[in-house]
Amino acid sequence: MLARNSTYIAGVTPAALLLALFFVGPALWALYSSLTNLALVGIDAANPRFVGLDNYTRLFADPDFWTVIRNSVVFVVGSAVIGQFGLGLGLALLIDHAEHRRWWLGTLAYGAVLLAWVNPTLIAGFLWVAMYDFFFGSLNHVVLSSFGLSPVDWIGSFPMPAVIVANIWRGTAFTMIIFLGALKTIPPDIYEAARIDGANAWRRFWDHTLPSLRPIAALALLSITMSTFGTFIVIQTLTNGGPGNATEVIALFAFHTAFKSFSIGYGSAIAVVMLALNFAFAIAYLRWSRARA
Amino acid sequence: MSTYSRRKFLKVAAAAGIVVACAPAAQPSASPPGASPSQAKGLTGTITVSYPDELGVKPKYVDQAAQAVQSKNSGTTVKVDLQKISDDLYYPKLLLALQSGADVPDVFHFGGDSIGELADAGYIEPLDSYVGAWPDWSQYPASIKQGATYKGHVWAIPYGMDTRWLYFRRDDLQKAGLPADWMPTKLDDVVTAAAAVKSKVSSVVPYALYAGAAASDGARDHAFVPLVWAYGGDVVTSDGKWVGNSPAIRKALAYYQKVYGQGLSPKEILTTTKPWTAMRAKLGDGSLALLFEGGWVYGGWASKDQAGTQKNVGYLLHPTENGGPSFTIGGLGTCWYITAKSKNKDLAWEFIKTWNNKDTVAKINIEDPHPVARSDSADVPEFKAQQYLVDSTKSLEKAKFLPPDPNLSKITTAIQKATGRVANGDSTADDAAKQYSADLKQAIGADKVIEQ
Repeated sequence: MLARNSTYIAGVTPAALLLALFFVGPALWALYSSLTNLALVGIDAANPRFVGLDNYTRLFADPDFWTVIRNSVVFVVGSAVIGQFGLGLGLALLIDHAEHRRWWLGTLAYGAVLLAWVNPTLIAGFLWVAMYDFFFGSLNHVVLSSFGLSPVDWIGSFPMPAVIVANIWRGTAFTMIIFLGALKTIPPDIYEAARIDGANAWRRFWDHTLPSLRPIAALALLSITMSTFGTFIVIQTLTNGGPGNATEVIALFAFHTAFKSFSIGYGSAIAVVMLALNFAFAIAYLRWSRARA
Repeated sequence: MSTYSRRKFLKVAAAAGIVVACAPAAQPSASPPGASPSQAKGLTGTITVSYPDELGVKPKYVDQAAQAVQSKNSGTTVKVDLQKISDDLYYPKLLLALQSGADVPDVFHFGGDSIGELADAGYIEPLDSYVGAWPDWSQYPASIKQGATYKGHVWAIPYGMDTRWLYFRRDDLQKAGLPADWMPTKLDDVVTAAAAVKSKVSSVVPYALYAGAAASDGARDHAFVPLVWAYGGDVVTSDGKWVGNSPAIRKALAYYQKVYGQGLSPKEILTTTKPWTAMRAKLGDGSLALLFEGGWVYGGWASKDQAGTQKNVGYLLHPTENGGPSFTIGGLGTCWYITAKSKNKDLAWEFIKTWNNKDTVAKINIEDPHPVARSDSADVPEFKAQQYLVDSTKSLEKAKFLPPDPNLSKITTAIQKATGRVANGDSTADDAAKQYSADLKQAIGADKVIEQ
């Protein structure tokens, strides 16, 4: 049995080792340190103690935690599910359509969306800072002022929409590319048959395109949900979680707790909760894709 | 300041004994030992000096000191690790190195606020025996020595002290119908002046009152703490307990409510990255009228436009609620520390001693204006010739200081949350004070928090 699978095992081992080293290891370390009061400064840095589930009791009683969870849900739904997923699918359909008809505009759109994606996240964040900034930003000083309108405090007045828009802009290319790839795998004869049966464009999309895309859609949704859930560089650059707690999402909350208050134990507890939620997403999406595919 | 001494003993000695795997190995000396007469103390080996700097003022002084140490003690090497990042970014990086024991520098340069939390963590070395044998230590006033002392030990050597001012633009206030030699007698006069600017000079931001996490330490030192003091309260008692909810804290938060509620301070402070950059620039060019900020900021304006700054930027102490004596908030400024894990502490001290000579301390504080930590540096003619530096040094007589609490980072987070909540209108002053008290208890333990 082992001999028969030895090639397979030999192939999988390096990947498994790397995963263990860079994922399982840190995850276990986070789990362990979430049960301690480890800190980066003060007496708890010199003598961390085992505190059991104290960090978790404290976390669930912390009103900020629930604000942060709510913010994360709004951010993930707005930016990943509606924004990147919806927009990515829409763009992929349009570009695919354009490619079939050899319209050059499709390639241009493809390039433009891709450009946003190839920027390092930090640069993308700063680009939006340069747009939104009240004092120096181009939205106020070029766009609004050319219409004679007075400046708007974009980030202060609409913090969550502001970061959602920036993150959609940054990340849509990923789902678009995935869907474009998937669209090319759908055999064209299905559509021809449907056309002969008299199905209109909407029915062809609903009955054929969408079901063919479902497995890949689940994968794309899972992947962007998880990465959006864990994202914080765009938000950190734009609002740093403010004003107040208005855009503090869970990843940023963990970061601030661990590296601003230097409470590593408490920060790890937040990270563990985040990991658990990601697991839950993964299971839900995988079940959804298997149930229907 | 010795409140926490009843808690566990420092583990400094233990930490110092830990062998650091990745510390730079001592290099064999280039010349035979004892070849140079100046090597009487037998200093050899290598040290790494790590410091953050964005301004560009410090590198030449650090390099000079490194050169001086090397030429005086042949066979020694002083490696300089300049990090061109802000203190905010430098600190977590440094802490991670100190915690993990990898790439630990021998000497580092950071704010004196951190003495308590660094000492309790066992990261830094007490300097008592070094300062005891250093004749120049007598040049440091008792108050400054006291500031560098925690649990009975001296931990860091300051050179330029922090003071803060309420800066105001004479030109903006005049446009708003106020006198050029404006002088608030009580705290509300500041709000009145800001309101006058808002109604009469629409192109000028009236006032910047730091709040929230984005404002970093500014929310603490440049706003919340002086406000609590101005209302006659205290943020921490003399026996080291932090005040959670008190009349003065509610009044300080109500002051935020008033200032932000009337739109006198821009909400962008809550969201901009490093809002102080924009606020300092604005006061410098006259598009902001009132700002309570660090004394060191003045130098940036003066170096850009000496005459304009002298003419238009006024600086005052912080007024109080009912016109009592005005005050400021002082600080140790940035200091030099020796890490507990350093394997060459004598050479590390040699560097610190060399840097902190009378002339360097005077010169760097002229270039980057701060009151000098050494009394004899204040007598250097170039220092004495600058009115602003004389005023700054004098302001320390009216300064109050925060103790070097080991929980300062956590407390700062609670202050940022409380001020951010009120400034953003999420919470009333009274509710924010209650929540501040709860946050403090959660962060540092209920036994260290009192309500008044």
